[in-house]
Amino acid sequence: MTAATRTSPVRRTEQAARAERKRRKGRTGFVLYLVGGTLAALVFLVPLAWAVLRSFMPNTLVTQAPSGADFSHLTVSNYTGLIDTNDILRYALNSLLVAVGTGLLTAIIATMAGYGFARFRFRGSGVVFALVLVTMMVPFQALLTPLFLEMHSLGLTNNLAGLALFYTTFNLPFGVFVMRNTFLQIPWEMSEAASVDGASPVRTLVSVLRPLVIPGIATTVLYAFLFSWTEFVGALTFITSNDLYTLPLALLNMEYGSVGQVNFGYLEAGAVIAMIPCVLLYIGLQRFYIQGLMSGAIKG
Amino acid sequence: MTSAGGIGRRVPALRGPGGHVPGGRGQGWRRLGGGGLSARRSRTGMILVSPAFAMVALFVLFPLGFAVYISLTNWPLIGPYHYVGGQNYSEIIHDQAFVHSVLFTLLYTAIVTVPIFVLGYLMALLVRSNRRGAVFFRTAFFLPYIIGLATESFILLLELQPDSGAVDFVLHKLGLAAATTAWTVNYGLALTAICVFVVWFASGLTMMLLMAGMNGIPAELYESADVDGATWWEKERRVTLPLLRRSIALSLIISVIGSFLAFNQFYILTEGGPGTSTEPVVMWIYQEAFVQYHLGYATAGAIVLVVVIAVISALQFYLLRDGDDKKAAR
Repeated sequence: MTAATRTSPVRRTEQAARAERKRRKGRTGFVLYLVGGTLAALVFLVPLAWAVLRSFMPNTLVTQAPSGADFSHLTVSNYTGLIDTNDILRYALNSLLVAVGTGLLTAIIATMAGYGFARFRFRGSGVVFALVLVTMMVPFQALLTPLFLEMHSLGLTNNLAGLALFYTTFNLPFGVFVMRNTFLQIPWEMSEAASVDGASPVRTLVSVLRPLVIPGIATTVLYAFLFSWTEFVGALTFITSNDLYTLPLALLNMEYGSVGQVNFGYLEAGAVIAMIPCVLLYIGLQRFYIQGLMSGAIKG
Repeated sequence: MTSAGGIGRRVPALRGPGGHVPGGRGQGWRRLGGGGLSARRSRTGMILVSPAFAMVALFVLFPLGFAVYISLTNWPLIGPYHYVGGQNYSEIIHDQAFVHSVLFTLLYTAIVTVPIFVLGYLMALLVRSNRRGAVFFRTAFFLPYIIGLATESFILLLELQPDSGAVDFVLHKLGLAAATTAWTVNYGLALTAICVFVVWFASGLTMMLLMAGMNGIPAELYESADVDGATWWEKERRVTLPLLRRSIALSLIISVIGSFLAFNQFYILTEGGPGTSTEPVVMWIYQEAFVQYHLGYATAGAIVLVVVIAVISALQFYLLRDGDDKKAAR
């Protein structure tokens, strides 16, 4: 560039100068972007990485001030101890059962409803859809008392299936919204062709529409799973018996339930175990997560 | 983003076979039993949506009505109860603990909302482009939100311990605090720590929502601004900000509702203490209902919370509807 402009300064137009300025500015901008982004990323990642690292330190070091020497004593003793004495695998399994159950149930019910709202016209459809969406505005945290009494009388408290039903319900508005949008985006002619061929609505869904709605289902399952896996106050209210604890309750039990000193090494290892599925699922399925955010169903 | 604003609006794409199929080739049998088929499809539709409706009716609509009823009684966990009218409501507004929890929740919301928004906005500016590294940054910024407040609260509990926690260690090295600062047992320190923690946790969500909004702005607008010789700042002010109003409203409302419903971080880190000084509304409800067994009384507080959240949500619909029209006009 500079060589060219030097040989023919007259030909250097205003536009070229501007392009050059812009390019140089773009380069400094990119460096600033990289530096700023990296620093910010460290702020978010270092505490999490530090927690993982600390979970591999012997418990005696976890309860001491951090020092550089700690890293030479890495061990899995917190994990093995947690498995032996705290039954963490049972709690992880409880969490997994509830989260998988919530994910599947939400997917099935939301897919059915999304299909119904998008492809079938029936009396009251608008009202029912509105009622399902209004649920998004109702904070379940404020319904703990009536829900507890109701679920208790139905035998759904101290019951992992009951917890999954509760989680499913509060994931339905989002799921139904996403699935309805998914079905609306499929050309009407596709299911029409199948029904002309004599396929029933269910058969049309299973054999013709299925591949087209899988992304929507993935989004729905992902949100339901993560909600269920990380939920705390509902589990605290509806689960009281020790052997049904989900992971957050098991961690709370380590914090308050233990007599005397809290075993911070175990607590850290337990928290890392709780982190793992979230991190893996999010990194692996980020595309679907972002589709969910974009779908416009997010409210809060 | 069409938002949850689907409520009440007619859905243009919702086509039924009646309006769509004009009859004709291969549809002869429909002409005979046209009404029958439409009725069958209508029935299929109802069957398909009924599980979702049943769940919502059973676990949301019924509890909502039941909550109003409970709040008008002196319901204990076990034993008889009777109707007390509005007594619970008139009592909670004079209950110092309840009023304190409301004020504390408002204070907490006031502290965290602006930092969450500003950080989220700055991060959205960083990650909205397709530049190299944007996906990595976005993933990193959002990771705390994905892992969840409960898990991270346990991690923070450990790092807030005097003498052994990393927070004291780092601040001590920087000369900002004593290595023995006990964060969770002091009102001011606990509130500070939790607010910083929540800003760290929640700004990623605001980033995502704003990024979605920014990516929805047509590129041509920036291109024509470029032709006009607009600077970066002018483009942000005159193109991005006005067209982002909707996303900004959405992210602020989600953030405020989230703060109003705060529970996990306080329950795990301070258990509302020292005393009940860091007790937010949801924890007051939880304690009254499931520790004190004053179910009627607690539910009156819960109804107040439901109403407040409903008002904020209605405000959201009002604000976002405006944006919706603009979007449609584009």
